[in-house]
Amino acid sequence: MCYIATANLDGETNLKIRQSLAETAEIYAEKPLLSLSGRIECEGPNHHFDNFIGTLYLNGHSPVPLGPHQVLLRGTELRNTQWIVGIVVYTGSESKFMQNLVKSPLKRSSVEKVTNMQIFALFILLLVMSFLSCVGALFWNQRNRADIWYLGNKDVSPHNFGFELLVFIILYHNLIPISLLVTLEIVKYIQALFINWDEDMHYEGNNTSAMARSSNLNEELGQVRYLFSDKTGTLTCNVMTFKKCTIAGIIYGNYSEASDADRENISHLSPSFMDQCDQCEFDDPTLLKNFKNGHPTEKYIKEFLTLLCVCHTVFPEKSGNDIIYQASSPDEAALVKGAKKLGFVFTRRTPCSVTIEAMGEEQTFEILHVLEFSSNRKRMSIIARTPTGQLRLYCKGADSVICERLSEDSLFVQETLTHLGHFAAEGLRTLCIAYTDLNEKEYQEWLKEYKKASTVLQDRIKTLEECYEGIEKEFLLLGATAIEDRLQARVPETITSLLKANIRIWVLTGDKQETAINIAHSCKLISGQMPRIQLNANSFEATQQAINQNCEDLGTLLGKENDLALIVDGNTLKYALAFETKRNFLNLALSCRAVLCCRLSPIQKAEIVDSVKERVKAITLAVGDGANDVGMIQTAHVGVGISGNEGMQATNNSDYAIAQFSDLEKLLLVHGTWDYFRVTKCILYCFYKNVVLYVIELWFTFVNGFSGQILFDHWCISLYNVIFTSLPPFALGIFEKCCSKESLLKYPQLYTVSQGAEIFNTKVFWIQCMSSLLHSFILFWFPTKLLWRDMVLPGGYTTDYLFLGNIIYTYVVVTVCLQAGLETLSWNKYTHLAVWGSIIIWLVCFAIYSHFWPTIPVSPDMHGQANVILVCPLFWLGFFLIPTICLIQNLMWKLVVNTYKGSFLEQIRMLESSKVKGIHSVSKIFERVKSANQLLPQTKLSCEVVFQNDSVDQSIPHFVASSWQNLDCNFSVPHSKMPYCPVGKAETLTSDRLETATWRDTFSATGL
Amino acid sequence: MEMKLKDNLSRLPDNTAMKQQQLPACHFHFSATRILTAFFAIGALCLVMGIILILSSKSAKTIEINYTKICANCAKLQENAFNFDKECTCSIPFYLPEKMQGNVYMYYKLYGFYQNLHRYIRSRSDSQLLGIDIKNVEDCAPFEKSHNGTPIVPCGAIANSMFNDTIILSYNLNSAIHIKVPMLRSEITWWTDKYVKFQNPSSRNLSNAFAGSTKPLYWSKPAYELDEEDPGNNGFINDDFIVWMRTAAFPTFKKFYRRLNRIQHFTEGLPAGNYSFNITYITSFQGEKAVVLSTLTWDGGSGLFLGFAYTVTGAMTWLVLFSMIAAHLMLKKRKTFFLQQ
Repeated sequence: MCYIATANLDGETNLKIRQSLAETAEIYAEKPLLSLSGRIECEGPNHHFDNFIGTLYLNGHSPVPLGPHQVLLRGTELRNTQWIVGIVVYTGSESKFMQNLVKSPLKRSSVEKVTNMQIFALFILLLVMSFLSCVGALFWNQRNRADIWYLGNKDVSPHNFGFELLVFIILYHNLIPISLLVTLEIVKYIQALFINWDEDMHYEGNNTSAMARSSNLNEELGQVRYLFSDKTGTLTCNVMTFKKCTIAGIIYGNYSEASDADRENISHLSPSFMDQCDQCEFDDPTLLKNFKNGHPTEKYIKEFLTLLCVCHTVFPEKSGNDIIYQASSPDEAALVKGAKKLGFVFTRRTPCSVTIEAMGEEQTFEILHVLEFSSNRKRMSIIARTPTGQLRLYCKGADSVICERLSEDSLFVQETLTHLGHFAAEGLRTLCIAYTDLNEKEYQEWLKEYKKASTVLQDRIKTLEECYEGIEKEFLLLGATAIEDRLQARVPETITSLLKANIRIWVLTGDKQETAINIAHSCKLISGQMPRIQLNANSFEATQQAINQNCEDLGTLLGKENDLALIVDGNTLKYALAFETKRNFLNLALSCRAVLCCRLSPIQKAEIVDSVKERVKAITLAVGDGANDVGMIQTAHVGVGISGNEGMQATNNSDYAIAQFSDLEKLLLVHGTWDYFRVTKCILYCFYKNVVLYVIELWFTFVNGFSGQILFDHWCISLYNVIFTSLPPFALGIFEKCCSKESLLKYPQLYTVSQGAEIFNTKVFWIQCMSSLLHSFILFWFPTKLLWRDMVLPGGYTTDYLFLGNIIYTYVVVTVCLQAGLETLSWNKYTHLAVWGSIIIWLVCFAIYSHFWPTIPVSPDMHGQANVILVCPLFWLGFFLIPTICLIQNLMWKLVVNTYKGSFLEQIRMLESSKVKGIHSVSKIFERVKSANQLLPQTKLSCEVVFQNDSVDQSIPHFVASSWQNLDCNFSVPHSKMPYCPVGKAETLTSDRLETATWRDTFSATGL
Repeated sequence: MEMKLKDNLSRLPDNTAMKQQQLPACHFHFSATRILTAFFAIGALCLVMGIILILSSKSAKTIEINYTKICANCAKLQENAFNFDKECTCSIPFYLPEKMQGNVYMYYKLYGFYQNLHRYIRSRSDSQLLGIDIKNVEDCAPFEKSHNGTPIVPCGAIANSMFNDTIILSYNLNSAIHIKVPMLRSEITWWTDKYVKFQNPSSRNLSNAFAGSTKPLYWSKPAYELDEEDPGNNGFINDDFIVWMRTAAFPTFKKFYRRLNRIQHFTEGLPAGNYSFNITYITSFQGEKAVVLSTLTWDGGSGLFLGFAYTVTGAMTWLVLFSMIAAHLMLKKRKTFFLQQ
């Protein structure tokens, strides 16, 4: 037996046990080892960590099964173990560790896909431009062939069309922004770092911060429309506490009933119980009282607690006087801990025995078999020989599976089921506890079958499960446990704000329907008044009928967002996702505000995500923490893993890992929105700057006889994207902020801007293209007209083509950098550096570059350019005029859009800038609002708020209006219930009213 | 314990403004007032600039004489291959109605001559023109070597097609007295060209230095005999040659030819009166040739374009400004109407 840590493989930190086979356990001396001979048959190399199927054939022995418990995988570490002896099965790339190195599916963001399309469009544009130039060249040559004697008649023969086309493609090839890809890669990497660095997403509880595991989905975070969430460990803490139980039809754990006097009685009975009372959530002395005082159900209580102590796979670790339980499942740990506090302490585990201290009396159970838990079986059992020599099978599992297997003699079934209903209604996780006594004969028969099944090579797991089925029957019910899984901090708030951000939340859980509904209630996903549609059907026909019926009931509301909750269970979903009903089901589900799917298997989770993804063409996000969420995390556009207690599988397969659910709020609303704005602006800007410069080459061909001459110096062209205009895209991509973090969190409605892809779509792209074409037109023809007369230098000197080229190039750099400035909504020092710095860098480089020849043998034509250009008054006159002409149109356009469309974002920004101006004005407004409040009668407050917001609605877009209405509903409910509004509510209310007032104030202040 | 604490701290992200994205930033908001103020300022600035430029460009005087047609007979003469080398002179009299004050610059102007053709621009050898390696004719195709294989100096299409008409301006005081207007041919090139980019081979005698090479095909005399009056103006550093070698951006271009030497009658510039150009016509081509006399303003002789561009920009900006203000006023009315409701 040895202990291993598998942190490298699945991130689980608890120790695990690996055991050698009984047949080989004794062989560890040198001699027997040397004489050992035999063979191992096992499955081929694969990537499943938790599976291994093999058979050991030792010479002279019967074949023995090998399972995952006998295998040490590459990457695990030995702990607390001096040495082991083993046989190597697979090495190198055949080991499971290496097999798992496959990357998770490559996800590309939708922005990236659109970008690729746009690059393709630009490529078409490039071809068109080249083709046109070729045609132009053909005509020009035809007409002027005789006139261009100065080229040398011999060589004038025009090249063929294909060659010319190639020349022009090379001339214009820079139109395709290759630098964009590099820029984006770096920008996204830094954005990912920002996510990793975020202090707000650091969770002190387990000392983890958020981690962006893939950086190419950052902007996708700003576009999420559907959020699929796991429940356990995601919405809840997954810190299980044993809360209640029902034993033999009596419910325990309603501690409010217990009086102080009882407690005192208990304290001397069980000192350890009181010691840890602060942590022990199970707080009902009646249980022990009943146990001690010979209640009729005493023996059941004893059996119940013994079972909790024995039937598990928890591993105890002694640290001083205390025992720490290492468990792979938090439920089990909670149960064992619970039992410990009730005086049944699990103390020691050997490969084939478990030792417990039942009320101070040591007992050892011989463990014959562990019938493991699996999500299919939903139960685990242990076959043990009790100290009295009785063979007994202990089982705990989900109520549904246990109830099916109860014997007819089983008592208290009805009571227990009622209690289970109570537990579920409180949002507790329940497990049924049952046992059955086995007789030796039965057991021996089963054992044979088991041995056979466990050496099967193919489908071993399935065969084993079938085999287990054979002995897990005729259960006698003892009772049930209820474990509480607390909601994580700030979950309701997060969900509320995500809902406001127009994100639909679907909860997909493997848990029971009642529990799921309860959790949904407590995290404010569904409210009490919200009508619910429940789909629970057992057959395809019934499902189909229910779906169609509901669709009809909705009528015209179908397809719109309704204030409905849809609740489906896994069984029904199986039918609902069949081809015929899928369409209607999704129609129905998509018209509900909240959807709860319970009792789902991991595959079903992924299936739902996949069908929604296919159907709505919107961005989906899946968040989960366990291995069962891996499917949906990988299927969804964005997968978020919560580094919780259920191991690291989810995290390892996710794109972003966060510490707790509430971090999603910041991840989506702040990072998502910011990164979306940044990335899209960066992309559009890169397109813009490339088009502006390189289309100028096209304009130039019109004056140079379509000869393919470049207007600029070669090096200037090459360095355009590398140096002279490389900084502004980074500034946009890294430091741009559409508005402050506080505003984004305060007004989740702002999320809809990025969610709706309003600032980056094909239309925007073409508008941007047109604008850049116009800019390039101005930037070429204005300087051309300026220099047309050729007498531009003081002293009468004439110029050359590069003189024009350099002037245009300078104007382009200035225009393009300032355009970045116009795009930037938030200027910090780096933005300044990028915008002004780039212009200065170009001018300096230009001055230096003009002196290279002949010392450094490059660009003789550039020689002396700076000397004449930088002293040319015309150049400076154009330097101010031409970029102004280009940019002023954009400015005008912005102004028109801001004024007449006045997006919500703009208003928030206006609010922000007015806040920055001075707290003074805000406080003044506050005063005004306060005085206004005093005038209003208290009872009409809620009414008044609605009215006030209505008056604002005129100026804000519709979607905002509706979400504000929702907000009002939330406020008005408590007000109508309470005669006097509590302080907290009043504050939020006034602050809301303050904003309303501030808005209006800024409107009037700006003269609008 | 301490170790543990340290470990904890190290996993907490740094709280720096940069990493938390809380760098102090200035949020630009394009509020109406701001943009409108900016528009007003830009408009005003542009209008003022435009008016100044238009007014100042008025002071520049330019006269352009197209001599293609007048010298057509010379062109015809040269079409005959036998007369290829024959000099032909034509005279173009003209009247200058107003005097040209200050420095007067003389340009020749070619119409429809594409100095910006790709193959034309490439056809030169800058290392040859540095005077170090005059045999280097690498990039000069198709004018690299003569028929007998000696390298052409200076090589290339640009040099080959150099403008070599001679233009002499004379001032006709009356029908009898013709004064040759004194013209300077120095300082018509960029300083860097004359002193860095173009260098003669370092040899006392230029003709020796050029030995073993051939003059360009279309040239009547070799490079070292370009200027008969000033021996220092020969070879690669000949001013006319350097000017020509700066290839123009447009198919219609001017090249600096001479500048007025302000002595005797011409200290003030060119007085009004009768003048004539005596042109020794050498090469003809399909385009047109002209000669231009011009004075310059402080910003060069750019003409009205820049002034107009400024004025129009300013005017447009103001137009938008006022229409926006009007629109806002209307909108405001509507808004108050809503509030009253």
